[in-house]
Amino acid sequence: MQGHLPPGISIVKSENFEEWQMDIKVLDANPLYQNEIYRLKFTFGSKYPIEPPEVQFIEIPRSSETPRPIPIHPHIYSNGIICLDLLSSAGWSPVQTVESVCMSIQSMLTANTRNERPPGDSDFVSYNRRRPRDINFFYDDDNV
Amino acid sequence: MMDLDRESEELVDLRTLDYVSKYDEHLMCPICHCPFIRPVRLQCDHVFCQKCLNSAITSFDAGLQNFPCPSCRTSTNGIFMNVPRLLLNMCDDIRVKCPFSEEGCMEILPRGHVQSHVDKYCEYRPIHCPEQACDKKTRKKNMSPDRRCLHGLTRCGTCGEDVMEQDLEDHTRELCLSLRTTCPGCAATVFRNSLKEHIDTCPEAVHPCSASKFGCAAKLKRVDLGFHEQNCPLITMGPFFEAQNSRIDSLDMTIRHLRQRNEILEEAVSKIPSTLVDAAQLLPEGRSVSPTRPHSRSPSQTRASDPSVDRSSGMSSYLLSLHEALREEVAGLSLALTDLDARASMAVMNESLRIKEDMAHTNSAVNSIRMQIHWLMNPRLHQGQRAASAGPGATRGTSTLGLTSPNAGSSNAHPSGPGSRGLSDSGREGTKL
Repeated sequence: MQGHLPPGISIVKSENFEEWQMDIKVLDANPLYQNEIYRLKFTFGSKYPIEPPEVQFIEIPRSSETPRPIPIHPHIYSNGIICLDLLSSAGWSPVQTVESVCMSIQSMLTANTRNERPPGDSDFVSYNRRRPRDINFFYDDDNV
Repeated sequence: MMDLDRESEELVDLRTLDYVSKYDEHLMCPICHCPFIRPVRLQCDHVFCQKCLNSAITSFDAGLQNFPCPSCRTSTNGIFMNVPRLLLNMCDDIRVKCPFSEEGCMEILPRGHVQSHVDKYCEYRPIHCPEQACDKKTRKKNMSPDRRCLHGLTRCGTCGEDVMEQDLEDHTRELCLSLRTTCPGCAATVFRNSLKEHIDTCPEAVHPCSASKFGCAAKLKRVDLGFHEQNCPLITMGPFFEAQNSRIDSLDMTIRHLRQRNEILEEAVSKIPSTLVDAAQLLPEGRSVSPTRPHSRSPSQTRASDPSVDRSSGMSSYLLSLHEALREEVAGLSLALTDLDARASMAVMNESLRIKEDMAHTNSAVNSIRMQIHWLMNPRLHQGQRAASAGPGATRGTSTLGLTSPNAGSSNAHPSGPGSRGLSDSGREGTKL
């Protein structure tokens, strides 16, 4: 799909068209994310690219060879679910690609300065059993 | 029959084709990432496949009018336009593999021709078995002319395997496990698919001596070969031959190199005389500018100043240039001559004109003098006439008798008038003159 990936983005797993995993890292010296690599999981539905893929961070424990934490961000829940309008049905556009989504998330992290989780993170994480696409996010914050 | 018809109208899915040639990224639909298939253009000039756009619109709930461009989110207003034919042609010209390449069709053709290739020409297209009950498919080229079902199992007569009728030919020719062949060396019968392995190990197979490239004509069975190679003089000489060969090769290379160099030099040498002749031609030409120089000295000068020049060619070119100079001189002279001629004739004509005019003047002067003399002579003539008329009149009167006297009297009285007037006239004329 991609011949040449932009810097800071690499494919980890792309054997089928159901699930891909990508590693991203923040390129500038943002102290929140420096020297960290994060893993994204893309789950494609049958209607991709007309409908958005499910994208979320996945965690690999610190003890493993390739530790992949969940980045701290006011729009990223501690279970890895990302609140980004680009990934909702309304904000999605079929011209988006895995590459462009990764770049969007990269820049979302780069621009962040707040070391905090979204409000109500612990409640959401403990009670949410829904899939990310079915959650009605309110895209109230345009600053980040 | 129904099935066949339906199948020939089956559309090739252009998105699943194997694109062979590289194509420009700009020809790629941003939604399906294939070269555009029946593309349409939006008001914002973004282009998408019709099908991609349609599926994007169907999943968009706010209605066609509000559908935004997937690339730039400008409102489309539900307007979809045609794209330039150029774009269609570029997309249709991209080379693809025939969709039945796995069946054996090696065709690679422009994408625009795939549909007709599959419909009409592809011999490898699997088509439904003409037998209604059979649900298997046959390659088009294998289809029997009497539209029989070829999927019934037949037992291979040699290996006992059950093979479909359509595959039987391939099976008996190549695949059948029972096919045997005889080893050319040991005359043992082996299975055909293991013949190669057998020959590599067969002790009876005839192999040439490993020194055959140096001229050992021995061709022996593998068992005897070891013994031969121990005694073969050519094998002991082998390393020496190798060294010689490599030396000859390197010498060959050097010779080829030198030959090339020689060719280049020869070419350069062959060019030298022509350049010298050019130079020689330039020199005498410079000299012929001053033709007043004594010619007898020039050739010796040419030779003296340029001793390397080929003598005869220098001579001839010098003579030629001399000839040329003389010819020029002659031409100049003839020109001067004609000029002179023209000038002379001009002068002559001018002079003659003047003389003619003078003559006319003299003529008129002479004429006036003649007139004057005449006028001066007139009274004297009259006087002479009057004096003479008495004499001749008398003589005439005498000759005419009787009639003369009255006539003579009247004639005398009559001219007296003009005579006196003539006198007064002459007096007036005299004052005028």
